[in-house]
Amino acid sequence: MRLLALGSTLTILLVSSAFAQIGNPAGADPGTRQAAPGVPAPHQTNTQDQLFAQQVGSGGMAEVVLGRLADRKAQNRAVKEFGQLMVQDHGKANDKLAALAKSADIPLPNEPDPEHKAVQARLEGLNGAAFDVAYLAAQVQDHQKTAQLLQWEINSGQDAQLQRFASETLPIVLKHLRMAQDLAAQTAGQTPREFAPATTGMDHGDGSRRVRQ
Amino acid sequence: MSKPLKRNVLFAAAFLIPATLFTLIAASDPLPPDATYRPLPTRPFSAVKADDEAQKPRVMLRQADLLNRRYDMSDRPIAGVMMSAARKAVQGGVRVKLPAGVTWESLAEMSPDEIRQRGLMPEGFLPLPHVKQATGGQVIPDRHIDEIRRQEARDLRRFDVNFDLPDHLTPEFPPPVFLTTQPHLGDVSRGQLLTIKNFYEFMNGIITPVQMEGLRLLLTPFPQEEFNQTEDRKVAEQSTGISCLDCHANFHTNAAFHLTPDVRPQAARFRLDTTSLRGVFNQQVHGSKRSLRSVEDFTEFEQRTAYFNGDHVSATRKGVHLPDRTNQVAMMAQMQNIIDFPPAPKLDPFGRLDRTKATEQELAGEQVFFGKARCAECHVSQTSFMDNSMHDLKLERFYQIGNTSNDFVILPDGPIKTFTLRGIKDSPPYLHDGRLMTLADTVEFFNLVLGLKLTQQEKEALVAYMLTL
Ligand code: HEC
Ligand code: HEC
Repeated sequence: MRLLALGSTLTILLVSSAFAQIGNPAGADPGTRQAAPGVPAPHQTNTQDQLFAQQVGSGGMAEVVLGRLADRKAQNRAVKEFGQLMVQDHGKANDKLAALAKSADIPLPNEPDPEHKAVQARLEGLNGAAFDVAYLAAQVQDHQKTAQLLQWEINSGQDAQLQRFASETLPIVLKHLRMAQDLAAQTAGQTPREFAPATTGMDHGDGSRRVRQ
Repeated sequence: MSKPLKRNVLFAAAFLIPATLFTLIAASDPLPPDATYRPLPTRPFSAVKADDEAQKPRVMLRQADLLNRRYDMSDRPIAGVMMSAARKAVQGGVRVKLPAGVTWESLAEMSPDEIRQRGLMPEGFLPLPHVKQATGGQVIPDRHIDEIRRQEARDLRRFDVNFDLPDHLTPEFPPPVFLTTQPHLGDVSRGQLLTIKNFYEFMNGIITPVQMEGLRLLLTPFPQEEFNQTEDRKVAEQSTGISCLDCHANFHTNAAFHLTPDVRPQAARFRLDTTSLRGVFNQQVHGSKRSLRSVEDFTEFEQRTAYFNGDHVSATRKGVHLPDRTNQVAMMAQMQNIIDFPPAPKLDPFGRLDRTKATEQELAGEQVFFGKARCAECHVSQTSFMDNSMHDLKLERFYQIGNTSNDFVILPDGPIKTFTLRGIKDSPPYLHDGRLMTLADTVEFFNLVLGLKLTQQEKEALVAYMLTL
């Protein structure tokens, strides 16, 4: 193919940026410093990157707080374990995000946002099966929104590292979403609606990720 | 109110509000403002263009790498099989590459769970990314661009991306045109691409005034998402636009592609391969997802929402075009509705093979199609090998969702309409996004997805059969 002939001249560029995200430059921040023409230098962010880091940051923090709450209060053992998994997975993701935000000079919120605080307050007041149902319902909503935010960053951001973080986190968040949906169905006595189980319990290693970014 | 103060008030409010008001709080939560609506460009046209041009080689190389990883892209025609106007050979062989350590047979023996868990789904079966997902938009193949420049001096070349498939894996160009109203004439295209410059001469005397006016409109360029006069364009000069038949070349397809208008956010919008308009008169469902119920609706809507962006807001900014439903849309529809499938001399009026004309292998293929492979349950012969329904093939049973491939997030396809198989050898690549290069690929695809366990002989017979349709 004609395209491949370009290969040799570009090898040097590709070593550093092979398969990195390539955004629409129409959405780049006007002050962006570039590493090469058309390639934002590391940690050069646009508004979307900043908003993304802040929203995912406060959401992630809430996941840990709520996960601890579930670990303490859930009646169903599987819901308890799900809470522990949230503490573990979102804890890891929060640390990664914090490091990336620091290098990019994005101030992250240091407490959950009002919406999540309201959810927390509500869950504090519930016990037994009612807690499980409300916690899972909130988790389903949260993971739906987070999946949307991550996808938004993958195309709208310009900081390659934040975008990679979003790409790597998305499959895990979608798996959490499916788990929360399955658990919610189980607690309501339904059979899970989907054919492809998200894996129950703690194991969510689901095959190697063959698709490169 | 200052920001911190506002936040404190909100915090306080959150604790005071009783549980019953919980939903009110949730409804006010902040999501990004441009998650649904397309943002305006943040920089001047010249700066965007310079960056786009600088990125282009990298964009194309990344896509070429993805294609070569997924498929054998070589030029390997089936001996003696040409498309309907005999202008291009039909490509053969399975082109989707297998992951190391498996064969098509061993893969077909595995359960979907096993394939998913071991990451063994051939990458070429997964949704195919657009060449530049974050920007998306219409991408026209070179031969069409060149011909439009020659005839109309209109520029359809984008400065940010090129068409990504090699010529031999796309339909013949220009494709023949068959009219339901003039079956005895055969191809009426004179071997030319119909354009605003030549259509009258070619069609004078064989179509009605109403059809002629419809044709004129279908060939008239209007400013659209990437081809317009604003800074939000991807052609060098201010553009007079693009016409319907710039993708549906001669009412067939030139394999131009786009992103689906029906999905957001942008990262999840899947690629769309242009469908042929042949036989559209027999279709009740238009668009792979939108399920519009008439050619009129489809025609009117495409004109109004920036050709496949599902974004009337952004479209309006580039020039309002509201075709009149009775005087313009109806005529455009009536022109589209006389475009016939190419002749299939081996089919009888029931859409079954004529035993006196078909080969042993083709007949064997028909038997598999209607029998063991169950293709005919959706591709119904009496209704032009479709069923006017959408089906969820549930491909995500076989792979882990949510991975990113060239900035495209791979999510389940959901229900997609059954496409016709009439004239199918003329319209590679296959499936709604063009992820499969040959008919042999489609047989392997359905063999796996439907769990058919076909033998090699049955697979080859199916391909031979589809070439007769
Ligand atoms: C950018 C290339 C492009 C342009 C320009 C374009 N189309 Fe299409 N057309 C497509 C694609 C891609 C599809 C498949 C849409 C889908 O699957 O949702 C399609 C589908 C259709 C269909 C439905 C076919 C079916 O039965 O599913 C009709 C009818 C149609 N187009 C008419 C038009 C008209 C009329 C115009 C001009 C107003 C137009 N198209 C302009 C690419 C294009
Ligand atoms: C359950 C219904 C169903 C069955 C059974 C089925 N198909 Fe399809 N077929 C579809 C749908 C839906 C599509 C469009 C899928 C897409 O684009 O994602 C399609 C698309 C195709 C295409 C591509 C058409 C194009 O224009 O790109 C081919 C070729 C095809 N099918 C062949 C077959 C064969 C051969 C069989 C039997 C082995 C078969 N199909 C069985 C529903 C079905």
